[in-house]
Amino acid sequence: MESEIKKEPHRRVTLIVFLSIILLFVVYYSVMCMMSPGKKLAVLRTEYAAKSTEKSSIDKQILKDSGYLKLMKEKAFLQSRIAMAESDSGYITINMADSSANLEICGVVVHKAKISSLKISKILSETNENAILSLLSKPFTISGSTATIMKEPVIVQMAPKDTSEYKPDVMPDTTLTQATNYILETNQGVKIYVYQEEKDKMNERITQLKFDLDDKLKDTWSSLKSVASLKVPEYNLFIKIRLPRADAKIFYRAIPKNGQIALVN
Amino acid sequence: MEDERIIDEGAHPENEKKPGETDYKKSESAVNEEPTLAEKNRGIGFRIFRFIFFFFVTILVAFGLVVFIIYGVPQLKEMGHGKKSEIARNKDLTKDSNYKKQLGIISKDVQRLSVKFAGYTSGQSYIVVNTTENKFYLYKNKQLVREGSCSTGSYKKLQTQSGKSWTFKTPRGKFTIQSKRTHPAWHRPDWSFIEEGEPIPPKDSPLRWEAGVLGDYAMDLGDSYMIHGTIYKRFLGMPVTHGCVRLNDEDLEVVYNTLNVGSKVYIF
Repeated sequence: MESEIKKEPHRRVTLIVFLSIILLFVVYYSVMCMMSPGKKLAVLRTEYAAKSTEKSSIDKQILKDSGYLKLMKEKAFLQSRIAMAESDSGYITINMADSSANLEICGVVVHKAKISSLKISKILSETNENAILSLLSKPFTISGSTATIMKEPVIVQMAPKDTSEYKPDVMPDTTLTQATNYILETNQGVKIYVYQEEKDKMNERITQLKFDLDDKLKDTWSSLKSVASLKVPEYNLFIKIRLPRADAKIFYRAIPKNGQIALVN
Repeated sequence: MEDERIIDEGAHPENEKKPGETDYKKSESAVNEEPTLAEKNRGIGFRIFRFIFFFFVTILVAFGLVVFIIYGVPQLKEMGHGKKSEIARNKDLTKDSNYKKQLGIISKDVQRLSVKFAGYTSGQSYIVVNTTENKFYLYKNKQLVREGSCSTGSYKKLQTQSGKSWTFKTPRGKFTIQSKRTHPAWHRPDWSFIEEGEPIPPKDSPLRWEAGVLGDYAMDLGDSYMIHGTIYKRFLGMPVTHGCVRLNDEDLEVVYNTLNVGSKVYIF
């Protein structure tokens, strides 16, 4: 009985210390994460802004002018599209200003889609930032992707040994629909999230939630590792768009694995 | 001493021990202190309740922290950073000759690039094939003149015991019509025999030629890929081909008459 009484305050102290450590770590983690966009912007400024000032002799005042910036963005977007048109494969252009996404092949718009919702990193929305303008002036190259659908829905079929084993093809079931969500990672460190617009089916909502959670867990794990080694975690610039399912599927299947994307905001 | 005793008595009258009475009182109080069964049960119930309460509170707090780390922290990241500069239309600046010059240069660049970009879309006829939805769109003078269903690659991978394989997919990208034919006959490739379990005849064997299966017209895209007709019209709009683009008879005739050798074919 006495030993139990003695243990009680000891246990409480341990619990309080443990909780304090956890809380302190959460605060430390949050602060470090909040510092990451600033660090990213600084990196972008050294990487992009310096180059542009070297090339142009335009003074700072002109760079802040809305009319001049509008033309600069238009020029950059056209330059990106022309650069991408040189290849024979498909590429995507996303115009955040008029909420449209196009699939183009050699400069020809072969498919158009309307973006129903758009969310972008705060850094990317700062169009007055010279570094961001420079970043967006060149096409992004896809370095990897994660998706809820297959890029090439290949079905393996073994060849029959003789004519008796041969079975003619049956009509494929085209009524089946899959939740279409994917993330395109680019070499420039911008992640493009494409979600299907339709949210009518519960299983599709669950698929999206799971898909999103997987990505967030991956990001959190990488941030936790950085923070544990006393480093500011990496900040990923992002663009999240919602498209009709059919369009989202078309875009994903049409672009090559290392395809290109041009953006304008 | 007596006074002391009295004081002591006054202070603790019940503690006064009388011979023969002491043991009885002690045992009586012991009986009174012992909890009843109901009290015991209440004590256990309280402990269980306290345990469950703290267990759930701990779970909730832990869950809250995890949710905050996963969902809350990324939101915090977007709460603001960096120093914003102002964009505005400066009236004095618009009168500046350097500004006008720079604006003129960039306007010309935009114009030049727009013309170049517009030049990519041919004024001639071209066809666009959507392999995901199995649809085609025919354009003439940059205007859509016909659209309809087609069949494209099935994405079936035919594999032999020896390890050879073929994947039946329609290639994507830009192609040109290399030649046009009427009443085409099909020269069956090896996979066609393997797929049906038939023995493979020599390359120049007449057994390889099959007439009437490609419809009335065929347009070659290179690498044995074609736009042609079909006898399997019920499969139109579905991914069932070995890589070619199949159209129905009416659409095929219009496409054949609209496109020329050298016309562009965009497949995505």
